[in-house]
Amino acid sequence: MKHLKTLLAGVLVALLAVGLWRGWHSTPEQDTARGYAGLGSAAEGYAEARPGDRLVFPADHGAHPDYRIEWWYLTANLEDAAGRPFGIQWTLFRQALAPPGATEAAPDSPWTSRQLWMAHAAVSTPDGHRAAERFARDMTPAEGPGPAGVRAAPFAAWLDDWRLAAPDGTDSGLDALTVRAAGDGFAYRLTLAAHGPRVIHGDHGFSRKSADGQGSIYYSQPFYRIAGTLTVDGEEHAVSGRAWLDREWSSQLLGPGQSGWDWFSLHLAGGAKLMAFRLRGAGRSGGDYLSGSWIAADGTVTPLDGDALRLTPLTRQTVAGRELPTAWRVQVPAQALDVRVAAVHPDQWMATTFAYWEGMVRVTDTQDGTPRGVGYLEMTGY
Amino acid sequence: MSGRRPARRAGVVGVTLATLLSHYRRHPGQLAMLLLGLWVAGALWSSVQAINATARDSYARAEALFETRLDRIERRDGTPLSPATYAALRRDGMAVSPLVAGELTLAGSAAGEAPLRLLGIDPLTLPGTSPLARRTGDAASLRDWLLPPHRLRAAPDVADAARRDPRLPPVEVDPGLPPATLVTDIGVAQRLLGLAGPTRLVIAPEAPAELPDALMRIPARQLASPGQLADSFHLNLTAMGLLALVVGLFIVHAALGLALEQRLGLLRTLRALGVPGRTLVVALGLELLTLGLVGAGLGILGGVLLARLLLPDVAASLASLYDSHVGTRLALPWHFWLGGVAIILGGLASAGAGLLWRVARLDVLALGHAQAWRARLGGLLRRQAWAGGALIMLAAGLGGWLWLTGDRQLVAGFVMVTAALLGVTLWLPAWLAGSWRLAARLGRRRALWAWALADLQLQLPRLQLPMMALLLALATNLGVSSMVGGFRLTFLDWLDQRLLADLYLHPEAERHDALQAWLADQPEVATLLPARHAEATLLDAAAQSAAPVALFGIRPAAVLRAHWPLRLPAAERDAAWQALAAGEVFVNEQLANRYRRRPGDTLTLRGADGRRHRLSIAAIYPDYGNPRPEVVMPVARLTRVFAAPPGSLGVVLRDAPGSRRQRLDALVTRLAARFGPATAESAIDQQALKADATRVFERTFAITRALDALTLGVAALALLTTLLAQAGTRRAQLAPLWALGVSRRRLVGVQCLQLTGTALGTALLALPLGLALAWALVAVINVAAFGWRLPLHLFPLQLLVTLGLAVLVAGLAALLPAWRLWRMPPRQLLQEFAAT
Amino acid sequence: MLQLTDVAKSYPTPQGPLFVLDGIDLHLAPGESLALMGESGSGKSTLLHLAAGLDVPDRGEIHFHERALSALDEPARADLRRRHLGLVFQQFHLVPSLAVIDNLTLQARLADREDPDWTDHLLERLGLTGLEQRYPEQLSGGQQQRLAIGRALAPRPDLLLADEPTGNLDEAAADRVLALLHELIHESRCALLMVTHSARVAAPLDRCLRLHYGRLEPGEP
Repeated sequence: MKHLKTLLAGVLVALLAVGLWRGWHSTPEQDTARGYAGLGSAAEGYAEARPGDRLVFPADHGAHPDYRIEWWYLTANLEDAAGRPFGIQWTLFRQALAPPGATEAAPDSPWTSRQLWMAHAAVSTPDGHRAAERFARDMTPAEGPGPAGVRAAPFAAWLDDWRLAAPDGTDSGLDALTVRAAGDGFAYRLTLAAHGPRVIHGDHGFSRKSADGQGSIYYSQPFYRIAGTLTVDGEEHAVSGRAWLDREWSSQLLGPGQSGWDWFSLHLAGGAKLMAFRLRGAGRSGGDYLSGSWIAADGTVTPLDGDALRLTPLTRQTVAGRELPTAWRVQVPAQALDVRVAAVHPDQWMATTFAYWEGMVRVTDTQDGTPRGVGYLEMTGY
Repeated sequence: MSGRRPARRAGVVGVTLATLLSHYRRHPGQLAMLLLGLWVAGALWSSVQAINATARDSYARAEALFETRLDRIERRDGTPLSPATYAALRRDGMAVSPLVAGELTLAGSAAGEAPLRLLGIDPLTLPGTSPLARRTGDAASLRDWLLPPHRLRAAPDVADAARRDPRLPPVEVDPGLPPATLVTDIGVAQRLLGLAGPTRLVIAPEAPAELPDALMRIPARQLASPGQLADSFHLNLTAMGLLALVVGLFIVHAALGLALEQRLGLLRTLRALGVPGRTLVVALGLELLTLGLVGAGLGILGGVLLARLLLPDVAASLASLYDSHVGTRLALPWHFWLGGVAIILGGLASAGAGLLWRVARLDVLALGHAQAWRARLGGLLRRQAWAGGALIMLAAGLGGWLWLTGDRQLVAGFVMVTAALLGVTLWLPAWLAGSWRLAARLGRRRALWAWALADLQLQLPRLQLPMMALLLALATNLGVSSMVGGFRLTFLDWLDQRLLADLYLHPEAERHDALQAWLADQPEVATLLPARHAEATLLDAAAQSAAPVALFGIRPAAVLRAHWPLRLPAAERDAAWQALAAGEVFVNEQLANRYRRRPGDTLTLRGADGRRHRLSIAAIYPDYGNPRPEVVMPVARLTRVFAAPPGSLGVVLRDAPGSRRQRLDALVTRLAARFGPATAESAIDQQALKADATRVFERTFAITRALDALTLGVAALALLTTLLAQAGTRRAQLAPLWALGVSRRRLVGVQCLQLTGTALGTALLALPLGLALAWALVAVINVAAFGWRLPLHLFPLQLLVTLGLAVLVAGLAALLPAWRLWRMPPRQLLQEFAAT
Repeated sequence: MLQLTDVAKSYPTPQGPLFVLDGIDLHLAPGESLALMGESGSGKSTLLHLAAGLDVPDRGEIHFHERALSALDEPARADLRRRHLGLVFQQFHLVPSLAVIDNLTLQARLADREDPDWTDHLLERLGLTGLEQRYPEQLSGGQQQRLAIGRALAPRPDLLLADEPTGNLDEAAADRVLALLHELIHESRCALLMVTHSARVAAPLDRCLRLHYGRLEPGEP
């Protein structure tokens, strides 16, 4: 879903063929053609996400090295005992630096690999935000796992001691997990338990990302209950709430001319969930490309196309020197949904190597302002 | 009738300046002398500055390369870590980064060429702000770095050589790297060096880490930065450069004074023709500025060339003294050039200010006031002597204070030396005048003798400056030679004491014990002297501050006890060795001086495992040439308590028939057969080691000797230029004698005697000064700068050499003017009468 | 043009100030030539130095072109000397490092008044044509003094001050130099104040005064 945040991944991507560096030195036309962080670069040599691909579990919980980018993306809306809002983000990105077969690891060195790992972790507090990033090369020591990687079963995704994994000795797919991370001034350790089914987006998992047809493979587990401890500036908070895990991989996410996206993952009152995104410049004749999924409380998915979904920016605020729409009107007429989605506070900027806004939002009724849920919003390319 | 001449318009200042400069067209020798003075002063000074700037640049680059700012994590046994260990530490949350370091000999490099330092890094995890760490933003270059064929960053001095080696990845030049350094991806470096894993891990000093027992963490502050260590060396160099500058400025002063005196008439004429005094000062100032700029240009150019010649030796000195690496190519920042020009112009201004002052107050009507000026010289001499005396008192006072308090402060030492040098220098003219008066009284009967001495008094104003330069050069020469000579003697003694074994082995860690056992059984072996090294942290009483110390483990065998030097009376030595065996330690003089410890005091050491150990000091030993504080204890205890990794094995051969060489060869042959050629190759013959050490020592002081010789050369030059400059005046003074019947040969002889006698008088004053300087260098400055003290050796021959040098310098300088006088046709001498 | 009024000048001696000039009144009209005679030490040279602005009187006033010298500072007096006065000394005071032609034009160039025609004329009249590139030491005494006179006249001064200009020359050479001096003075309509102890030298001048113990008396050449 939203998590194209991946954009970050894009980061890695950037590393890709053309890379930012050359992008900065190229003409503006070329820049637009490559899109945010190089995510629009050509994908020759990589496997391509296509309609008709079928997901196989638990193997697809693991990495797909023949695709250029991939991520394991967890967000959670939490509350402490006093009902104050907290949020966490835990993301692992995989990035291929070269297509399969182009450069295989030198047999005599555990250090050389065409894969690169990056992780982001963040905590949102009622009035603040902490974030950290980590990098690791893909390596396979003769014995034991490398510093970063993903194991399909029993599930484990890690970079250094940042870890999202099934508890030791258990293997229930993605249904029961623990997550932990720590950075400058924050740390968290939480337990997740799914109470609903896995959700496959788009056409059996193929999620179209532009009118031109390219897309990604995309599924989620939006039905987590989560509880545990956050530590911010040495102060511990016992928290609980709801979490959402996205899994997505692709070799070309953005079409030419796409500049960024706005991505929503909402936990609505009554148990329904909404995933919706807007890819700016990806629609027909340069318009936006909108798509999403309506997920009923029982896990039934209804794909939403541009006509069934309306995303309207309401208020813009200056964050980290940029103008960002921190309040939106989100409408799904077929589900009689008309809500206002607003940032709990605007200060949730991810000042990472590839920067973006990722933060907790509140959902209220457009008509009477009654609370209608919580969620996460991601905005890139601003 | 000449053709039509165009009118020239140059303004009053322009015409005045051109007229003033026309003097040098008629007297190119004076111009050459001025420029020569500026050139040598500038060249010596700026060469030292160029060397310092290059060294500083190297240090800055070394520090920029993270190595000195990050803690290290290594295996206690010194073997490489496995990639799995690294991965496990990362997964446990320790922010370590793997590093491969080793020496690489480039393909196609000449035999004997030093290998390069090759570092393999992981840019994704390297902590800190090093430009090598995760060059984010620059995605393409990160990809190039991580993927074959990878990239290699090379210091500019070795980039071309690296490009020629086919094993290496494509080369990128990185001016930020220390000299002779290559950096590449860890995988590439590991393969190039043939290693199985990283040689060590690095971690930010503030990052926590809980390490398994096999690993130890070495704090960054124990890896003292090379710049700090070598600071004192550069201070010494700077002092030398300053001395050269002063000596060079003596020449400038003499030349300027002469050029002015000869133009006094011209200046008066110009004033009479309507040039305002102010305009005259401006024009002379412009002349000085022009000369200064030309001289500065020449000086800096010469300095850079000289520095290029000296730099390899300086680099060798620094490498052997402090283990710091300085490039052998000059790296000069912009402020070096600006600073060079400024210091030379400043020096010229110091010499020219007095001149301008005199011109500004020039009495237009006075035609022959040189007499009055000379009359004032008497007063000047007295004032100089007073000031000199005061400075000598200051130096003596400081020396006494340093002696009594035992406080070895570098700055106080330098102030004392400067005051002594300056004081005696100022006192020199009075000393010479007094000596001449005394000599004249003794030889009153002999007319020529009396005349020669009276004549010398007349020459004093001119001669005093070059003689001062000679005094400084001689004293420095004596002082520095005494220090180096003493150093050399002590060093060789110390080598004999320390290198007791005939053979030294550095086996691989896993073979150490087997080798030791095997050696102990061999018939040739009389004694085995195993030694180990470890690191610890010295805590002060309140554990408030910590400093790194080296730990050295020895086996106190009889042969070692007999030769190991201790700063103790002979009678107390046995007791000290017993105390060592019973649990006390020895510390080197560096540690004792720096942390003010004496026998009987205690030390608190924190080992690599964090445990504290309180140790009592049994004795202090001299440890020349070692920049670090060191603690000695029996090797068994070092291994047990401080987990020291296996080190070297020294083998003392048994006395037996047959040559030492043969017995050694037999042992090494059996060793190779038993343990393989690699172990045998690690064997070092003690004699080769001594030869190596001696060679390193000689190179260490090559720079000192070079500067020393140059200073003396400059002094000779100053004397020569002065003599040449006053040759005309001398002729007028000698002509009457010649007319009275003194042959030219005798005149030449008298002149040479006058000069060598004066030089000898100067040298007599230089002797005590040089000895004082030697004492200051050995007992104060070296102790403060290097941390160790040498016994002061006096070499009578050196004193004779100093006197001889003085005579030689004066003789050489007198040769050319004497030869001219010798060759002068009588007609020219007659002209002296015609002209008056 | 030059007016000295009640001028006095003394030098300090251990016995108190010694007045070398006392109550001097003197007037010199444009184009007029005046010889100043007297014994050695009578103050002739001092008077000349005062007139040239090289020295200042203890008392009295000196006017040149109606301007009081006492009102001028040192640079202004130097300026006046450069543009309006020519000085000729007994010792010539040529610049040894400058060639003849550069010596000749030195003051003219300093005064920014170099006139090539006048320079050529002077060279010819002084008999120095063809010697332009020589140096003073390569000239005879008479040639050197002629050169010194040329240097003083090159900027076309209003007044030439000459201090025993022929004191260093033999009689024949002195006569030639003097004759030339008078011709050139007339040509350039320049006034002349010449100090000399020689009646022969003083004779051709318009007027003659005698200094005696610091006081001015009418004199006979």
